[in-house]
Amino acid sequence: MERDIPTYSLFLLLVFVMIPLTISYYYSLGLKKDIIWSTLRGTAQLFFIGLVLTYLFDLRPIVGIPIMLSVMITVATFHARKKGKEFPRAFISILFGLVIIELTVLTMWLSFGMISFSPDEVIPMSGMVIGNSMVAMGLALERLKNEFEQNRGQLIAALSLGATPKQAAHLSIKKTLNAALIPNIDQLKTIGLVQLPGMMTGLILGGVAPIVAIKYQLVISISIFSSVSISAIFISMIMYRFFFNQQMQLLKLEDIKKSAND
Amino acid sequence: MTSPLFQFNQVERLILSNVSFNLNEEDRLVIFGPSGSGKSTLLHLFNRMDDPETGDILFRGEPISQFSIPELRKQVGLVLQQPYLFQGTVEDNLRFGPDLFQEWDEQLAYRLLDYVNLPNDFISKSVDELSGGEQQRVSLARTLANKPDVLLLDEPTSALDDQNIAAIEDDLIDLIEKRHLTVVLVTHSMDQAKRVGTKGLYLEEGKIIEHGPIEELLEEPDTPELQAFLNRS
Repeated sequence: MERDIPTYSLFLLLVFVMIPLTISYYYSLGLKKDIIWSTLRGTAQLFFIGLVLTYLFDLRPIVGIPIMLSVMITVATFHARKKGKEFPRAFISILFGLVIIELTVLTMWLSFGMISFSPDEVIPMSGMVIGNSMVAMGLALERLKNEFEQNRGQLIAALSLGATPKQAAHLSIKKTLNAALIPNIDQLKTIGLVQLPGMMTGLILGGVAPIVAIKYQLVISISIFSSVSISAIFISMIMYRFFFNQQMQLLKLEDIKKSAND
Repeated sequence: MTSPLFQFNQVERLILSNVSFNLNEEDRLVIFGPSGSGKSTLLHLFNRMDDPETGDILFRGEPISQFSIPELRKQVGLVLQQPYLFQGTVEDNLRFGPDLFQEWDEQLAYRLLDYVNLPNDFISKSVDELSGGEQQRVSLARTLANKPDVLLLDEPTSALDDQNIAAIEDDLIDLIEKRHLTVVLVTHSMDQAKRVGTKGLYLEEGKIIEHGPIEELLEEPDTPELQAFLNRS
């Protein structure tokens, strides 16, 4: 049986939106515009994507899947790049990373028979992997910049003791990866206990047996966990090099930015 | 006659302009001058934490660029104004340099603590438990762990109180004499310059105004610029 939410019920969601709006008004948070805009934008985006998916699901998988994956990866690259626009070749590095991760995960899913090559399975699952990888890359880039700016003294001390850039940066990269990965590790630890993950909830609501929903959730959770780890490691290992020049000297973020724009 | 340890020939970098001088083995050169005169920039050229835009720097008679950078920085150690210790214990900090070159041995740690007058049980202390003076001592010991021939000191006591300054200066002088170190010290304190240095180099707006034995420079300055600076200090 396929469940559906009546359209009039969706309008009742406005009640939920009214709550933060009232809080913002009462405490003068100045978020009124943001709340209204993000609600409208989110709703429009979801309906639009619903229409696009309906269209893509009707296409032959070999056509529909590559189109949708390309769009998702491109949008994710633009978004993650915002956090690392100071670095040279940030766009191409993120794009390359996301493509490799998606292809690897997809190959594994398909070759182990976890999902079939149909748009209604590949697209939502890939969306979760790409989206989480995008967030992980953005977070790692942000953190990497902070670590290198805040720990300039320690980095200079390490270089002056004879460390190569890789040896000097080791501590900062470790902290960056910790910060980027800890939310995911915590999430995996408490999965199902604190919150039922989105995908599982969706499947159960859609009428799928809980045990089947859990199997899908496990596939996606482990896939997200490993792709997030790979994303953060990949982007940190590529980008930290830009903080040093050939003479093993530490550069400032503004110097890196200048060379990125040259 | 042996060649100088360092030769700077018409070096230019940022504010530094036409800087030429020699540094011999076991010299104790004090670089001093007003803020923004290029003292730290000059200091960082000795171990290639920075490079000149024009001019040559020779180390042991060879262009400095011919040396492997990690090896050069091992031989020419730098102590910074702030200790900038790495997270972990005192031992983690002391062994950082030697570990890079596979030269660490446990006994070295105790000798290093002894050099900087810290008790042996400090070895396992977390760096967060140390006072400002103790941190700077560990930072000095960390640089000495690489057994450098040249010690670059960038205002190493500027963040300390008077009592700590005097104690660290005493340790430094003792160390320099025992280990026959060549020293380049950047300082704002003329008392420190007199106590630690044998030679002086007075910089103003990136140019060398006077260079010679430190006593002569401080007691009989030749130029009105240095006279004015000493009157202000």
